[in-house]
Amino acid sequence: MLEAGTDFEPWVVESVDDAAIRSFSYVLADPNPIHLDAGAVQAMGLGDRVINQGPAGIGYLMNMLRASAKDVEIEEFNVSLWALIFAGDRVVARGHIDDVESANGKSRYYCSLWLEVEGRRAIEGTATILTAESKELSNDR
Amino acid sequence: MAIARFAALPGTVLPEGAFVISPEEDRLVREIVGEASSSTGRAHPLWAFIATQRGIGTSVAELCALADFDVADGPKMAGWNATFTGELLTGYSYRVTGEVTDIVRKRGKSGLFDLMTFVERLVDEDARAVVTTTTTFVLPRKNH
Repeated sequence: MLEAGTDFEPWVVESVDDAAIRSFSYVLADPNPIHLDAGAVQAMGLGDRVINQGPAGIGYLMNMLRASAKDVEIEEFNVSLWALIFAGDRVVARGHIDDVESANGKSRYYCSLWLEVEGRRAIEGTATILTAESKELSNDR
Repeated sequence: MAIARFAALPGTVLPEGAFVISPEEDRLVREIVGEASSSTGRAHPLWAFIATQRGIGTSVAELCALADFDVADGPKMAGWNATFTGELLTGYSYRVTGEVTDIVRKRGKSGLFDLMTFVERLVDEDARAVVTTTTTFVLPRKNH
């Protein structure tokens, strides 16, 4: 069972997939060339690979939270995006429980979370998640 | 951009729209972000971002154009907040509403940029917001 101070099991993406970035542009109906054309990224002086969408990183962090127990509900999610993530990068979603409250048969977990890329934090923020007390969070996945 | 128009942007109501999260697209999104679990009628919470962006009655390019910014110049996301007050379901038609709340001009190491913030929400048939999101875009002003 997780309690204040406990770390979440990290959620790892070994290599951000170029094809997934293209698919996500389609899903988002987002024509931004930085996700589609490495040449455009280069022309902007940002690098030489297409850039992953910020919301994909948010998705990795949500997956980490959701993997911690069955039927986890995210109540509040708040992040700042500090750095770009490129196709091929290895990213690791991490987080820990800062505080826990129990009331009305539910446990509310206040969490810190961040997404590491090449040892730096690309996304950082907080979340509040809820779970029924009978399904309290566990690292025993 | 005219200073007066820039200053008038906060409070601009975005055209209302509607959005249905299809089970097929929910599966695709789970695949994109690497979640193995299948759709069971409850959509992945990342749809809070996707459904508001796609469902609001204006495109990303049109949203950027409100601030005289060309989407081809590469807007980036600086921050995102979501408050969930209900479940996101697949196959359900949500009303999507929103407005621009702020735009601030700043200068950083890479030059001049604007931070444009807007609020969007998915509203159910009882007129209840099931999720409210606040998104901040960085709009780099490459010609300044």
